[in-house]
Amino acid sequence: MTLLAPLFFAGLLAVALPLWLHRLSAENPNKRLFSSSMFLEAGEPRRVLAKKLQYLLLLALRIAVLMLLVLAFVQPALWRPPQAAGGDGAELHVIVLDSSASMAAGNRWDRARNAATDIVADLAPEDRAQLIAAGRVTELVTAPTVDRAVVRQGIASVEPGVFHLNFGQLMRALDGVLRGAELPVVLHLVTDAQQTGLPTRFAELAPRDSVELQVHAISASESNAAIESLAGSALDGELTAAVRNFGDRTLEKTLRLERNGEVVEEKTLELPPGALVQTSFDALTLAAGPNRVRAMLTPADDLPQDDVRMVALKRPEPRPVLLIPGDLRAQGTLFVETAMETLEALALDTVTTTAADLGDQMLEEYEFVVAADLGALGAGEIERLTSYVESGGALLAALGPRSTAQSEVPITGQLFEPGAAAGSSDAYVSIGTLDVSHPALRGLDTLRAAKFFRYAAIVPAAQDYVLMSFENGAPLMLERNLGNGRVLLFTSSLDKEWNDLPVQPVFVPFIAGIANHLLGGAGFSNEAALGSTLALRAMGLAGGQIFDPNGNAVLGLGGGTDDVLLDRIGFYELVGGGSTEVVAVNFDTRESDLRAVDAATLERWQGLGQRSETVAAGAAPAGSEEVAPAPLGYWVLFLALLALGMESWVGNWHLRIRRGLSA
Amino acid sequence: MPAAGPTIPRHLLQPEVLAGLANLDLIARAVVEGFLTGMHRSPFFGFSQEFAEYRAYSEGDDPRFVDWNVYARTDRTYIKRYVGETNTHLVILLDASASMGFGSKAVTKLTYGKYLAATLAYLAARQHDAVGLIVFDQDVREHRRPSSRPGHLQGVLHAIDRAEPGTGTDLKVPIERFREFEKGRGLVAVISDFYCEPEALLAGVRPLAYQGQDVVLFQLLDPEELKPELKESALLQDMESGETVEVSPIFMRSRYREKIDAHVESLKKAAIGAGADHSLVDITQPLDAALRSYLLFRQRRG
Repeated sequence: MTLLAPLFFAGLLAVALPLWLHRLSAENPNKRLFSSSMFLEAGEPRRVLAKKLQYLLLLALRIAVLMLLVLAFVQPALWRPPQAAGGDGAELHVIVLDSSASMAAGNRWDRARNAATDIVADLAPEDRAQLIAAGRVTELVTAPTVDRAVVRQGIASVEPGVFHLNFGQLMRALDGVLRGAELPVVLHLVTDAQQTGLPTRFAELAPRDSVELQVHAISASESNAAIESLAGSALDGELTAAVRNFGDRTLEKTLRLERNGEVVEEKTLELPPGALVQTSFDALTLAAGPNRVRAMLTPADDLPQDDVRMVALKRPEPRPVLLIPGDLRAQGTLFVETAMETLEALALDTVTTTAADLGDQMLEEYEFVVAADLGALGAGEIERLTSYVESGGALLAALGPRSTAQSEVPITGQLFEPGAAAGSSDAYVSIGTLDVSHPALRGLDTLRAAKFFRYAAIVPAAQDYVLMSFENGAPLMLERNLGNGRVLLFTSSLDKEWNDLPVQPVFVPFIAGIANHLLGGAGFSNEAALGSTLALRAMGLAGGQIFDPNGNAVLGLGGGTDDVLLDRIGFYELVGGGSTEVVAVNFDTRESDLRAVDAATLERWQGLGQRSETVAAGAAPAGSEEVAPAPLGYWVLFLALLALGMESWVGNWHLRIRRGLSA
Repeated sequence: MPAAGPTIPRHLLQPEVLAGLANLDLIARAVVEGFLTGMHRSPFFGFSQEFAEYRAYSEGDDPRFVDWNVYARTDRTYIKRYVGETNTHLVILLDASASMGFGSKAVTKLTYGKYLAATLAYLAARQHDAVGLIVFDQDVREHRRPSSRPGHLQGVLHAIDRAEPGTGTDLKVPIERFREFEKGRGLVAVISDFYCEPEALLAGVRPLAYQGQDVVLFQLLDPEELKPELKESALLQDMESGETVEVSPIFMRSRYREKIDAHVESLKKAAIGAGADHSLVDITQPLDAALRSYLLFRQRRG
């Protein structure tokens, strides 16, 4: 006997309440003054005694109800050995059908079903069976049952999926499922035992101590080739495919390339055993918008799902960027402009204008603005830039000599520290802290190599986020959200007047990161892994719709449209925010390698799941986790309800006596 | 016809209405005036100021009653006398024991008894009867000998007003006090709940009858004493002895009612046996029934 929540015993204090009420009632009977007792007669002693006894019984029942309720909350439980529930010799046979994508190869699935059916047929009459399908998630197809027909029906209903199965994760999931089992468990794993499904640590394959593991390997020597990758450039339309032969004989395959359903090119490949063959296609002419490009191997092999690979290519639209060099340093944005011209993937179209001509520009047309020296701009220009940012624009602003002459930073309003233009041409400072997790600076540790001779020392405001700061703690780059837009403030120059950053190799990736960030995360991936989720809100498509490869509108997980599980192979179409994006979801190539683990490994694996003799004999050690506690809470609750019913009945009886009604 | 008729402003006689009046004198006046106003066509009309005879003025008579018209014609002073002022005296024995403090509604038995006593005193004084008062429980707590002197009524009313529930009841004590001081014939009104044995009542009243007194017994009882309604078993405590008895609703609805009815009936028989009148008064009822009972009694004995 054990108590699962003994703290609830504190509820026994409530017993004091009926005791107190009883005492109160005994001390204060229903007493009243009467003019004379001359004609009064005391009630019959038998009736008075009956009333007292009834009241004591009522009190006892009330206390019993309270105590039973407390006991129900305390959740008493009995330790019960597993075999106690199922009778002598009964076992629970858990049949786990590997429903990963590789099980669709050849006739593996038929053999797996047959193996599972054979297991069911061999069960002893008192045994129970449970069917579990193991794919991306562990699905309980049937509950433990003695009805063989239910299990067979479950076997017939399960189909192989498209996901990869890791045996280590499977065993951990089964641990949770089997934890409450009251019978000795025999775990039958019907699988193709793919090598790629093995976990990094072999020990992860071990089931719980009390579980006997039987691996029913149904693998065969199917031949398989798969397109492992298909990569292309949206700028020039060049494509490269990598095809691997997983079989042990040479294959000759035709690789066909389709663009938007139209065959563009075909190649014949000779694939030696185990070889990876890469091939390039002629440059594709991409249509406007997303292009669905598909590579396909023919003829199909035993696993046709991995003979197709897809990629979505979208020719980038030119993105105008406005550059405003400081008037005293007309070359202030030269290095930035040059860096942007090299960023073909971002398709930035730079336009340079002077501060004086800024009034002629329609700022809203630009994706973002780069100002080399904010201090060089007049009040009108500053006001226009501020309005542009607040309405959703983005600005990269540097602080030059003209800026430090002012009392505070224009637009963002940070205060300059005394002697704002710090540093000298002799001594330099380097970058001290750098947030490489920020999208603008991801992977840019080499920025620390840059030397900064001068910078504008400012005091960051509370709403500023410091992305980079010098070794002396002075901020180098800050981010400020302003209205609906954002400002990146660089406290040194963007040319090599105050630092040597523009001549460092990291400058172009630095500008690329900033541009990508100011474009609003334009690094939209057009390929996603099978089983992953698309975070629509993060992609700015929160109000949009998503269609699966079959053209059906898909709702997000949890009923919303924020996150969508990608559980089909093909092109997902995302419509929203005035644009259409296409995401290619491809077969998990880990499932393409159909080779099974060798017999020795399989034997070692099965050896991990031998039940201990003690458990097999049914003498479970007391207190071990194999001995599941049997909760008694429902029984106690039932008794409490029974006592409550009796309390009502006795209470009514008691009232009848008090009212002098005939009993 | 003896009925007072519908013209009596009965609401003025309701005990709960009277309880709202602060002054016992005012209560008595309101009751009597209201009662008599409604009786102007009743057989009791003759009890008002009806001329009876002249008698020669003697020293000590009130000069206000000298008939100056006769004096002008005959040059002799005569006192004009009326029927009602020639007869008798009324002594009220008011029980102020603890049990009289019982009452389930607006007024207790003692309060009702005080209203009744004051009203009787006022009515008698109005007819120039001498009015006396004995307030008692186990002892005599107030004693006012009968007198028709001006201002005596006020003293009687004040004595009634002062009465508060006391201890137990002993009917023999006030009667012995009465017999000790009052030798002449007269009227005796005993106001009590008479929680005593009929034999004890008989023993007390009979000597009065032998003395030539005309006795009327007003037995005041609350409806809860006559027809108690208990919803559940209760511990009832005697207001005089403090004794507690646990009774059941069944008993109070059946056996108790039989016993109290038998007791009232026994008292009535005992009263008749002693030559007295007995009147059972429900203290939730207006006072006119008790007054009418008194006037009938007064007429019969007058």
